[in-house]
Amino acid sequence: MSYCVNCGVELEPSLKKCPLCNTPVINPNELQKIGEAVSPYPIKTGQVDVVKRKDLALLTCVVLIATSLCCLLLNLFVFSGSPWSLFIIGACLLLFVLVLPVVIYTKLPIYLSLALDGAAIAFYLYMITFNTKSDSWFTYLALPIVILVTILVETFALLLRMFPVAFLTTALYFFIETALLCVGLELLIEHYLQTPLRLVWSAIVLTICGVISIALLTILSRRRLREAVRRRLHF
Amino acid sequence: MKHFSDHKKNGNSERKIWYKLDLSAIVYPTLQRRDFSSVYRLSVVLKEPIRPDILQKAVDIALVRFPTYKTAIRKGLFWRYLEPNYRPGPFVQEDIRNFCMPMPFKAGNRYLLRIYYYGCRISLEAHHSLGDGSGGMYVLQTITAVYLRLLGHEISDGYFVKDVEETPDPEELEDAYMKYANAKVCPKRPGEKTYRIRGTKEPFYTFNVIDGIMSVSEVMEVAKKYHASITEYLNSVLLYALLKKQQTEFHLKLKPVRIAMPVNLRRFFPSRTLRNFITMVYPGIDPRLGDYTFEEIINQVHHYMRYYINEKFLRGDITTNANTQRNPFIRVVPLFVKDFVVRLFYTRVQDSYSSAGLTNMGAIKVPENMKPYIERFDIYMGQPFSSRTNCAIVSFEDILTVNFASSIVESDVERLFFKKLVEDGIHVTIESNRT
Repeated sequence: MSYCVNCGVELEPSLKKCPLCNTPVINPNELQKIGEAVSPYPIKTGQVDVVKRKDLALLTCVVLIATSLCCLLLNLFVFSGSPWSLFIIGACLLLFVLVLPVVIYTKLPIYLSLALDGAAIAFYLYMITFNTKSDSWFTYLALPIVILVTILVETFALLLRMFPVAFLTTALYFFIETALLCVGLELLIEHYLQTPLRLVWSAIVLTICGVISIALLTILSRRRLREAVRRRLHF
Repeated sequence: MKHFSDHKKNGNSERKIWYKLDLSAIVYPTLQRRDFSSVYRLSVVLKEPIRPDILQKAVDIALVRFPTYKTAIRKGLFWRYLEPNYRPGPFVQEDIRNFCMPMPFKAGNRYLLRIYYYGCRISLEAHHSLGDGSGGMYVLQTITAVYLRLLGHEISDGYFVKDVEETPDPEELEDAYMKYANAKVCPKRPGEKTYRIRGTKEPFYTFNVIDGIMSVSEVMEVAKKYHASITEYLNSVLLYALLKKQQTEFHLKLKPVRIAMPVNLRRFFPSRTLRNFITMVYPGIDPRLGDYTFEEIINQVHHYMRYYINEKFLRGDITTNANTQRNPFIRVVPLFVKDFVVRLFYTRVQDSYSSAGLTNMGAIKVPENMKPYIERFDIYMGQPFSSRTNCAIVSFEDILTVNFASSIVESDVERLFFKKLVEDGIHVTIESNRT
């Protein structure tokens, strides 16, 4: 039987410190007994059940399948001039892949689901190419851009996952990736247009992002500065 | 109230039962968040370790008697409703440290109640949309009585123990609010911002509990010294603790301190309902008027309670609430709009109208031949909606337990509360799940 020296309440034997004021319990007569008593509360902690959004998943699938099917049938038997339904079926497929990690398979790793999203977009663009019988823009422009964006997004996710998330570091990643994206876009466009590879408009973006990134890096490397900025910009 | 709807199943017309949510049950599901549910817990500590297999049998037998508790909540276009749940369960489970966990409506086979056992303790957790603490107490005590009977003891019915053989009385399933909300005038809802406890939020999902166990006769004696009842005394102590806490904190200006205290309306209206039938009263102190001594606080609380807690005032109060629900313009608004508005109202107005919650279930009565098997009762108001602390009081024989529940790291209010009790000469034993 121990009492808290600070609060004056009797403490249940298994308590090692007073839950009211955090004063440790030291009873000189019962030193060896500490840790022997069993807590009236269990040690096991519970987890909240995860609810699968089954109804929403089912509804989404039904809507997408029904839309694709209707368009396919209309295309085959009514408006059969051109294979226009492929656009819609492709779009439905794209939507399906996009909602997949949200409602259907929630345990999918983020990198895989992002890669799948990229692949789905690329596939949809290919379908447009296939339908319009023009493929040079796809192979030389669309596909490289999709790959570039996917890689950048994946890197962003990786960086956020690997390092502790903070406002300043997130901003740093964002500006660096924006600069890379713009440079990549301009180079790819010039390559497609077969003009000499030169940085023009992306040079402006690169400079601005470079300055911001250097400023952010400075702030991040100086602890005092970093704390000051966090304090003033917290929201 | 029980409702029937004809629906065709296998070609045969079969009547399907469903229940409208009662007036206060409408609010609780709208506040549901990923990390919050309005769940309360009632526990009974027996004198022998619990046998889970027998307890499961007792639950299965007893729950048949409580059709509104063996339900699932569903969404309609305009309101939510309760539907009998025929899925397997609810299953008894070993107790956990962070109890009163959020209760997603679609998890746990859609049951809105959980039964736990640990050592000698049986605990019932129920979502507040099923019923209030008194309703839950009927379920818990009936389960306990059946459990003890299965162990071979002779337990009679009475008080909170219902006869499991009889069919439920329709009055037990009714929405009693609607029956008694018939005042000719609706008093305005008061609304003024009060002092909020600022605290560090614990990570999802931690539930901090501090129980104080004391003797009823000791507390009664002290309360008598102040010419107050136990509820009034403990309310005043909590107000005193909150006032002290506000004083020690940094503040630009003082704010009033108020406690939300549910009142059991069954004491004033002759209803036997097992669903929600409570309303809130708000005893408070305004420190902007000057420094209150403890005697002044207790005097204020005493007179507030005597003035407000009577059949007429309470009838007016529930009429105000009921008229909102009766308003035809509100009724035809789709559920998601209602949810949005109610949530907004609750977080902006209702929640900031009180600094803490306190409920007193009073002395729990059990049938005479069940008494020897019961050690004590515990009740928990469950996780607070915002960063504050909820206090629940219950007594059985000579043991009075005060259970604080919070999701913040700081325990200043609890410390000040129990310190005051100790200063008044009450012997307090503390139990906690904090590490």
